[in-house]
Amino acid sequence: MLKDLKQQIERLRAAGATYVDARWYPYEESNALTMWNGNLKDASSSRESGVGIRVLYKGAWGFSASSDVSNPTGLFDKAFDNARISAERVTFPIRLAEKDALQATFNSPTKIDPFVVSLSDKISFLKEMDEKLNQPGVLQRVGELIFMRKQIVFVDSEGSEIEKNIVEVFPGIMVMGVDEQGVSHQRSFSPGRIADTRGWETIDRGIFLENAERIVREMKEVLVADECPKEDRSVILLPGIMFLQTHETIGHALELDRILGYELAYAGGSFVTLDDFGKLRYGSPKLTARADATLTNTPGSFGYDDDGVPAQDNLLIDKGILVGAITGRQMVEEANARAKKQIFKGSSGANRATAFYRVPIERMTNINIDPGEDGTLDDIVKSTERGIILDGTKSWSIGSNREQFHFATDIGWLVEDGKIQQVVKNSTYKGDTLKFYNSLSAVGDKSTWQVEYVNNCGKGQPNQIMQLGHGVPVCRFDNVRIGE
Amino acid sequence: MKEKILQILADLRAYAIGKGIEATFFYHEEDSYLMRFANSAISLNTNEHLIRLEITAYEGRKRASYALITDLGKLEEMKQGIDIAGEMVKHAQPLNYDPTIPVYTETFVDEGGFDPALASLSNEERLAYFNRLAGNLETNDVKLGGIFSSGSNIVAAANTRSEHSIYIKTSDAQVTAVLSHAKLKWEVIAEQSAWQKSDLTPEALHDDLAFLLERYQNDAPQQIPLGRYDIVFGPAATGDLISFMNWIGFSGGALKRGFSCLKEEQVGQKVFSDKFTLLDEPARLETFPSKIDLMGIKRSTFPLIENGVFKGFTWYQDDADEFGAQPTGHTVMHKSLWLKPGDFPAATLRELIEQPRDNDILYIPYLHYMNLVNPSKGVVTASSRFGALLLKKDGSIVVPYNVRVTQSLFDIFGDKVAWMSKAETVNNTSSSYGARNPTSVILPTFIRVNDLEISHSNSSY
Ligand SMILES: [Zn+2]
Repeated sequence: MLKDLKQQIERLRAAGATYVDARWYPYEESNALTMWNGNLKDASSSRESGVGIRVLYKGAWGFSASSDVSNPTGLFDKAFDNARISAERVTFPIRLAEKDALQATFNSPTKIDPFVVSLSDKISFLKEMDEKLNQPGVLQRVGELIFMRKQIVFVDSEGSEIEKNIVEVFPGIMVMGVDEQGVSHQRSFSPGRIADTRGWETIDRGIFLENAERIVREMKEVLVADECPKEDRSVILLPGIMFLQTHETIGHALELDRILGYELAYAGGSFVTLDDFGKLRYGSPKLTARADATLTNTPGSFGYDDDGVPAQDNLLIDKGILVGAITGRQMVEEANARAKKQIFKGSSGANRATAFYRVPIERMTNINIDPGEDGTLDDIVKSTERGIILDGTKSWSIGSNREQFHFATDIGWLVEDGKIQQVVKNSTYKGDTLKFYNSLSAVGDKSTWQVEYVNNCGKGQPNQIMQLGHGVPVCRFDNVRIGE
Repeated sequence: MKEKILQILADLRAYAIGKGIEATFFYHEEDSYLMRFANSAISLNTNEHLIRLEITAYEGRKRASYALITDLGKLEEMKQGIDIAGEMVKHAQPLNYDPTIPVYTETFVDEGGFDPALASLSNEERLAYFNRLAGNLETNDVKLGGIFSSGSNIVAAANTRSEHSIYIKTSDAQVTAVLSHAKLKWEVIAEQSAWQKSDLTPEALHDDLAFLLERYQNDAPQQIPLGRYDIVFGPAATGDLISFMNWIGFSGGALKRGFSCLKEEQVGQKVFSDKFTLLDEPARLETFPSKIDLMGIKRSTFPLIENGVFKGFTWYQDDADEFGAQPTGHTVMHKSLWLKPGDFPAATLRELIEQPRDNDILYIPYLHYMNLVNPSKGVVTASSRFGALLLKKDGSIVVPYNVRVTQSLFDIFGDKVAWMSKAETVNNTSSSYGARNPTSVILPTFIRVNDLEISHSNSSY
């Protein structure tokens, strides 16, 4: 197969293509189990295999994919034909930033492959959680296990040959109840990074049982709580919401394809312009953010991206100043050319596709906020006069240029004069991105820093779902509108 | 092709019966083409032909499924899938209810929503369409973006209890064209949905874009004050709102799980404006309909809301099994939603603007990134995007920066509805996640709702 792919790549090069690559997935498997109120509603597995071909011709891309690999000539020709048509409408001829040709392998750090664990063992875990969550006041209880395993072989016309073997494990539990007004409230728990490996061994029953107890308790507190007030307060975001705030208003805002207008017809653009790099005060000096694809064991670490560029750790925001973006080989070249200066020194290795039948685009890796020097959560609460601690991702809605946002959380705890007071329900907050990050007044230390996983980030047309991570501390922002 | 697919399903059925495995088969085949435009260039031109087969095995109350992407020539691989599902189900845990396996009483084939001319559009035709809609509107600063997504879809089903099977084939196209200013950052949009080639009229999109462009090129945008506005929603905005209502309002399963904004005691009660009538209407080919559901229940007009009165919940078979309800023919990939039009005589934005007005009107064509703030109360939030206009009472027009609307669906579609237009638009609401599932909502082109709050107003794009 590999030989066939290489021959075809050479054939298209000889026919005038400037660059060709193939991503062959010998297999991609998933296994999902959902237990809902004691019923095993979903016990499903899937398997697919195939190859995706990308061809650059006269500055334009063509792509074609198929699960049928019996006719590679036809498949490569189709990708080439698609590129020929694209070449009829080119405004900035695509070029690719330089990279090294690599022969390499990446394996997710895994001790126990979740695909060799028996279905019975998986179901027994879900039953144990279900029993633990089955308490008075809980109307719905859900336990979920999602496993993925794939092999990707990447070859290109520049001599790269990279094999990746990736394993993903996404477990989670959720409870829901209804308050006296008939309004539903949820609490959930999905562990992020808890160890250096990410196989079945990371599904720690002890951690789950502890958190099952906690989410039931907190959900019941919300059911009898007062409404979140509508006013301005300091908001203290726990990692369980801070990761999504980071994802939506730093991560997506700094994808270079969005900045260059390649997502304007759908996902949207960015308020960031090329002039802003090195200058824009994105947040207060307490804000340092990075795209770190080298962190061991998260879905945002994958060894090599789908351009064949090695994973990297790059600063995005340095003490409040915008300095970097999430980039791939194509976009950095166009950005530098448009800016007429070198903003980006090569690709940051963040071009990824969700499946063999999708084309790679700029995707987040692990978009992290560095821990700060404002102590523990307790320390931050103590120094807060009038605030609210928020956790959980009930709802998120962001402006098309990521310039403003509205979030609803699962729970809020009011803080008065440095002390946690009562729980409130239906908590929300909103703001303008730059004003919000510039009001960042406290960043928790390493004790507050957690890596959370995202298993369903959507972007692009046709749409692509991607898995990634966010390492974030507890953060406090001042004068934020809540309760609207 | 149809015969081959039905034969494969028959072969799989025979294999499963031979192995003593009770199973259902769901077959999905898509031929998808997508030409994507950005910065006035074709940024991606892709196609994929994918066949997905999902096999669900049953053993009494136990159920497990196995899905694969496969090819018609790979019968052995499909049979292995049956073996895997048959093995999985042995280790599954029984449900506390009996899952239904349907018995199809006849083979149902529907190709009425398939237009071979649309399904076989060429790359050249897609590009020509975009070139025509863009006309002479692009400049060094004004860039064209968008998609031309088209293709065909086959959904087929069979099972070990039925000698018969189901086969539905549709064709579809979704066009989104956006003009955006590279420096000033405003953007305007025009869209089209098609089930047949003759629905594609690039001239109509060109006219819409040209009209909006004129406004945006001549008027500097402004931050509009917070407060209450009379709002006219365009079809994309209304389409999103109705899709969310469908998501959190009508499902009996969601009701039983506490996620519904409509409650059992509201059946037969007036919950929306008496101008509001929403049907599930599989007779409308524009909605890429299923005239039969996967349980073999024939589908006909199903009123959801009639003159504001809630008519009843829809049931997916598995929910009906779990909660002991009567299935309603809604075990489908999507409903065929049709919000019935009113009598207001504006069919285009130009006509809307020319109408005399008693108050300032905020026109919102599109709501971006809608999400559920409080599903139980039907509260959603989203931001305006793509060419909002503030039509002043005195006849002048202001171009506003985007605004945020956080409102309950009961307020938006309640007694504040002033009118709905007589003209209809088909709004294509397909998402391109996972398997192709063309979906659209038929809507009054414009709906005016008075006195809605704007809770956030941008000071730039
Ligand atoms: Zn995302």
